[in-house]
Amino acid sequence: MRRVSVDIGGTFTDCFLVWDGKYVAAKALTTYQNLAHGFNHALKNAYEELGLTLDEVMTGVDSVRYATTLGTNALIERKGPKIGLITTAGFESSVPISRGRGYGEGLSDRLKRDLPMGERPDPLIPIPMIVGVRERVSESGEILLAINEDDLREKIRHLVDRGAQGFVVSLLNSVINPENEIIVEEIIREEYPSHMLGAFPVILSHLVVGRKGEYARTSSSILDAFLHQEMYHGLSSLELNLRDQGYDKPMQVIHNSGGMAQLNSTDALQTIHSGPVAGIHASEHLAMEADLGNIICTDMGGTSFDIGLVVEGGVKFYDFNPVIDRWMVNIPMVHLVTLGAGGGSIAKYDRMSKTVQVGPESARSDPGPACYNKGGMKPTVTDADFILGYIRADRYAGGSIELSEKRALSAMKRNIGKKLGISEIDAAIMVKQKADNNMANGIAQELRTRGYEPRHFTMLAYGGNGALHGCGIANILHINKILVPPFSSIFSAVGAGNMDQMHFHETSLYLTLFDTYSQDMFDDYDRFNVMVADLEEAGKNDLMRQGLDPDMIEHRLELDMRYGNQLAETTVICPFPRMTSEDDILDLIELFSRDYGQRFGEGSQSPEAGIRVNTIRVASYVSLDKVHLKDILPTVADLKEGPEGGEKHPCYFPDIEGAVDTVFHTYEDLEFGTVIPAPAVVSSDSTTFLVEPGWQLEVGKYGAGWLRRLSTKCEEGA
Amino acid sequence: MNEIGKIKGARSVATQDRLNKFLKDASLFYGPDPDIMEYHGLEKRSDMEDVAIKNENDPARMSIVSDRIQAGLDEAFEMLANIGIAPGAKWGDMSTAVYTASGDLTQASTGGVVIFSNLVQYSTKFINKYWIDDPTVGVNEGDAFLHNDARYGTPHNADQALHLPLFHEGKLIAWIGAVIHEGECGAKEPGGIPSSAETIWDEGLKLSPTKVAENYELKRDIVTFLQNSVREPKLQYGDMKAKLYVCCRIEKRMKETIAEFGVDAVLAAMRLNLENTETEVRKRISEWPDGTVRHVCFADHTLRESAMIKINLALHKKGDKLIFDYRGSSPEFTNRANNSLTITVKGLLSQLFLSYIWPDLPRNQAVLAPMDFVFDEKSVLKPTIGTPNAQSMMTLFHSWTAAQLCVSKFIFSLPDKYTRFIAPWYAMINTFQYGGLTQHGEIVGNICADINGMGGGAFADRDGQHSMAPFFATMADIGEQEFIEEELPFIQVVSKKLMKDNQSFGKYRGGMGYQMVVAMRGSNAFGFMLTAQGSKVPNTMGLFGGYACHAYPLCKITGVDVFETFQNRPDEFKYSIQELMNEQPFEGANYSTHAMALQYDFAKEGEMYMIAQGTGGSYGDALERDPEMVMKDMEEDLISHDVAWRIYKVVYDKRNLTVDVEATEAARKAEREDRINRSMPFDDFVEDWVTDTPPANIPYYGSWDDNEIVYAGSPDIKGKIEDLDPIIMPDPKDVRIQALEQELAALSKENPTT
Repeated sequence: MRRVSVDIGGTFTDCFLVWDGKYVAAKALTTYQNLAHGFNHALKNAYEELGLTLDEVMTGVDSVRYATTLGTNALIERKGPKIGLITTAGFESSVPISRGRGYGEGLSDRLKRDLPMGERPDPLIPIPMIVGVRERVSESGEILLAINEDDLREKIRHLVDRGAQGFVVSLLNSVINPENEIIVEEIIREEYPSHMLGAFPVILSHLVVGRKGEYARTSSSILDAFLHQEMYHGLSSLELNLRDQGYDKPMQVIHNSGGMAQLNSTDALQTIHSGPVAGIHASEHLAMEADLGNIICTDMGGTSFDIGLVVEGGVKFYDFNPVIDRWMVNIPMVHLVTLGAGGGSIAKYDRMSKTVQVGPESARSDPGPACYNKGGMKPTVTDADFILGYIRADRYAGGSIELSEKRALSAMKRNIGKKLGISEIDAAIMVKQKADNNMANGIAQELRTRGYEPRHFTMLAYGGNGALHGCGIANILHINKILVPPFSSIFSAVGAGNMDQMHFHETSLYLTLFDTYSQDMFDDYDRFNVMVADLEEAGKNDLMRQGLDPDMIEHRLELDMRYGNQLAETTVICPFPRMTSEDDILDLIELFSRDYGQRFGEGSQSPEAGIRVNTIRVASYVSLDKVHLKDILPTVADLKEGPEGGEKHPCYFPDIEGAVDTVFHTYEDLEFGTVIPAPAVVSSDSTTFLVEPGWQLEVGKYGAGWLRRLSTKCEEGA
Repeated sequence: MNEIGKIKGARSVATQDRLNKFLKDASLFYGPDPDIMEYHGLEKRSDMEDVAIKNENDPARMSIVSDRIQAGLDEAFEMLANIGIAPGAKWGDMSTAVYTASGDLTQASTGGVVIFSNLVQYSTKFINKYWIDDPTVGVNEGDAFLHNDARYGTPHNADQALHLPLFHEGKLIAWIGAVIHEGECGAKEPGGIPSSAETIWDEGLKLSPTKVAENYELKRDIVTFLQNSVREPKLQYGDMKAKLYVCCRIEKRMKETIAEFGVDAVLAAMRLNLENTETEVRKRISEWPDGTVRHVCFADHTLRESAMIKINLALHKKGDKLIFDYRGSSPEFTNRANNSLTITVKGLLSQLFLSYIWPDLPRNQAVLAPMDFVFDEKSVLKPTIGTPNAQSMMTLFHSWTAAQLCVSKFIFSLPDKYTRFIAPWYAMINTFQYGGLTQHGEIVGNICADINGMGGGAFADRDGQHSMAPFFATMADIGEQEFIEEELPFIQVVSKKLMKDNQSFGKYRGGMGYQMVVAMRGSNAFGFMLTAQGSKVPNTMGLFGGYACHAYPLCKITGVDVFETFQNRPDEFKYSIQELMNEQPFEGANYSTHAMALQYDFAKEGEMYMIAQGTGGSYGDALERDPEMVMKDMEEDLISHDVAWRIYKVVYDKRNLTVDVEATEAARKAEREDRINRSMPFDDFVEDWVTDTPPANIPYYGSWDDNEIVYAGSPDIKGKIEDLDPIIMPDPKDVRIQALEQELAALSKENPTT
């Protein structure tokens, strides 16, 4: 297998090169002015390590895959064209009002509950660029009011006069009957033909999202339109760069749904958060290969703590109304939660409870933690880690930032120690404990709302601070195993290297499987089967358009089911491709009941409220070869004692009086399978392992390592 | 227990004990207990809590335990939002919470409605007082109690609360609660908040705290009784189950926390959370200047007839205490449902402080501990226990608005605030309730999520947010119309469209409200209700010279089917209430305006019911508004040329909205001079304006110039509130019939042959 996968992040472009069983990780700075430069640089770093040439790589690799934060950055910078929104008359304010709750989407819980601080983000489409056209489709698709073409033409011209550079068309119930949306597009094309210079891009909402929900669908379409141009230019210049360098196959773009596709089958919206999603995908693959069981993926960086979930048995966790930046959308996206917790999280004195609060505010990289000595006056988690001795002043971030002990101590003393009447060390212990607890509570809530217990999980810790706080978090959750994965600093790029080509197609419907009043079971099998067949056909066409062999295409049928009018929709992987009998329905109901019971408690099922299917979804995919990661973790047979002695420094740990002599190692100096007892700190190029008392580290390959709990008090999860 | 035993003078202890036992055994009815409702402070530390705090008091550890409890509550809240069946569960109209063994609310979910959690303290205390030792009831592990009657501790009967006792080693150590606004409760009108109720027995289910589960299993006989008492049996059962499993989930998390930290740590954390909050609140109140601020608000009808119903507030601040003095407010209405309750007034004020003043504080009841409340007995805010209260919001919300205004004036000048300063939020439920048979053959009765579209107040430095949230909840959801139409047989023809000129004018305007035009489609038995104040007297005031919100009527167009016009005369329809009502585009149709008080009204296919959500209060003088901001509102079609000129005095080019700065300054200067010319010395104004009694042509309820004396609908009916006769009003239909009969009689007299 020869494969290049790249994750273009905000700071670094990560590259993972697989070449005939050899794996190389490389990085380069992201070059915003032309992303290709960063890519070329990162790739060069990788192939040079293997002694290859650019030409060899470009003509030899079977695929080049991209995960990118391009769209995320464009949103942060609000960099996009002026778009006009055409919606159903009477619904012009749906987007500005954003279901009311739009003021808090994407913010912390603290801000969500503070109504006076509530403020909606600056709109991507301001009110004057929204028009309503006279038309109306009913919930079942009946045209109640035919579109008024004269009115429409007038509204289109109005938007163009105001400077529209493109249109989003989102009409009510268009996913059930798109006729009016299609007419709008036709009329725009009539007014501004596509072969003319004045042509405009038009995005129809029913093509972006197949499900009901006019606000979230319109919001999805707006984001798509807003990002389209930027993403198109960015990604096509990358593809052109590949062509120039001799690569002649289609470039693959990673989707946030957990698959990938060529540019001609990719919506801009599907690329948002594709990097973190690729990280979760890599975790899933690692879990399968190394037989890890259920895993919780955590990525702790400087400002945020991402949590993803992978459980055995192929259960997928998606968000069907994810929040992108500050907007709720309704495309299916691999479930990912971000907490405001990281090394830069600011700690402050809490007068009321006479203790500390940590985050969600962050010192970010500028000014950064106080110990960066760049003007930061507030103590952070990194300051606490530094004061407690886990980080050495001259080895932080590969020695690129020299830390100031004086600044860290002073900030901790002034802001916390003095107010609580405790030493800087005790204050730092409080900050560490609070930060670890915040993250642990986030993980626990995440798992438990889905019916899982953290102690039954292995924790995957990546990101710059993951291995530093892993033991602290796991102690609270009674998790006994932490895996710091290989290539952890470019883990998303590794995930991108393992994606399959996949497309989702879905449709909303009101399908009553079981009617509680009449006690009738659904029996219109043809209706159901035709819908499934249509969705499979759409997926198949997507994949065939990319040149894939129709015989290799597989489909997974998923149904979103619920009791009565509940909000909770449980996604059930349908055990049959077509519905043919009452037994099929009873099988489905049993599956649904089982999954629901696991999530909310056995006995909480409410079939007496009726059972409905609200969405039919088909994932169409082609399975591709995978990168093997199995042998990079030590087995029991590989384990060996670590080196004697070593450099020792005092460190402080919760619940242990005074300083503890702690051995410091360099990861690259340790052999595969070496066992490092606690307490110890092991630094690698990409991360720092803190082996807290009660734990040990087993060294793997490529930066990987097992942190295992030695204490027996939580054996259940071992 | 009944207090009769205390009246008869001195007795021996033994006699008193015997008498107490006799009275207890002879108790007819454990009704809502005024002693419980009166007290909103913290219960005394129990021995168990004392011991726990002696053993465990490290603040860092307490904080971690509290965080753990909070995580469990938030997990359970999310679970409830997901598995609850009532529409309210989907919008966030619910809460989860933990209470001490004595019943004090110690922690509530981050999301949801604070008043829900706050009020469950009273029902928990009722169970502790009456049921725990009652051999026919008792409280055991695995039991669950349910109630909906507001007088035992819910905001109104449409809400149902379930409590679960938490035991540790056989000892009751805490209570757990989950509340959802269920809506339907079997009242005379569907949806749970009947406006035509004249007695408490018209209000539907009146469930006092009742054991509905044992051994963590719902008792199907009781469930069946409850299902049999309401219009939506599916909702009743489904949500009882949802609440029970959510409480079980919290119980599990509490037990895990105990297993990890020990029971003392959990008990200490719960208690210290309350005590620390009270201490902190006292410190924060101390930062305010001492003094008194007063405000009055008026409800403008009883939901059956027009009336001026006064809510009077004097807020006193002294040292670390606040006193809310509501004396002088309207007397109670014996046969109208707009009476509130003291516990709901207090509970809602906890929301004021925890969402608008100190949102960083933990959500518990200690926020009110340093506050006292004074009400007149038999007033509309402290009515006799048997008066109907299904529509308590119709006076309760005004008590909240008055408080928000008073508090705002106190804190405006404080150097340290804990969030932004804000003008009053719009505080009324301008939304349709509905009930009947759906297109799927189900009987439903509930309220539309548009309740969540209230406009936010203006700030001292920027405009308020349009239709953002109900004033009593955060992150509430207006929902998606496509889903609503799928479930229910009506269509919003104009949906959530900001209404032009529906703006409280000021230097910074309030967030605007949207308009709704709804029409029934696809049912032969479905109707609407509307229960809101403010069709004549605005509900929400501005601050420091800012305008109030507008008055909002209900508009109806009958005698026409809008869907038929769509098919046959598609250009007739207009997309705003103003155009529909002013231009009257449907020939032969009837156009009418009403107070927003619509008793359940069977709808005909395609007839239109129209209302607007309210706008938040504004801040500062409209003449100080930046003319460019006025133009921005023009560009967004939020105001008319008339408003831009008449209110804001902006001179501009109508073609391109370019401001003529000099002309605007001149126009504003002229207006200021006009104001001076129109003004008069204060004493003259008082002489000209103030009268000794309320006007005779307005049915006025409440004090006039002396809080001791209140009026009851006429200048001639007045006195100390306790001396007034019950206010019993005739059924408006009888009044109408009587008037028609008189007309008929007069006509018959004039034309004896007809």
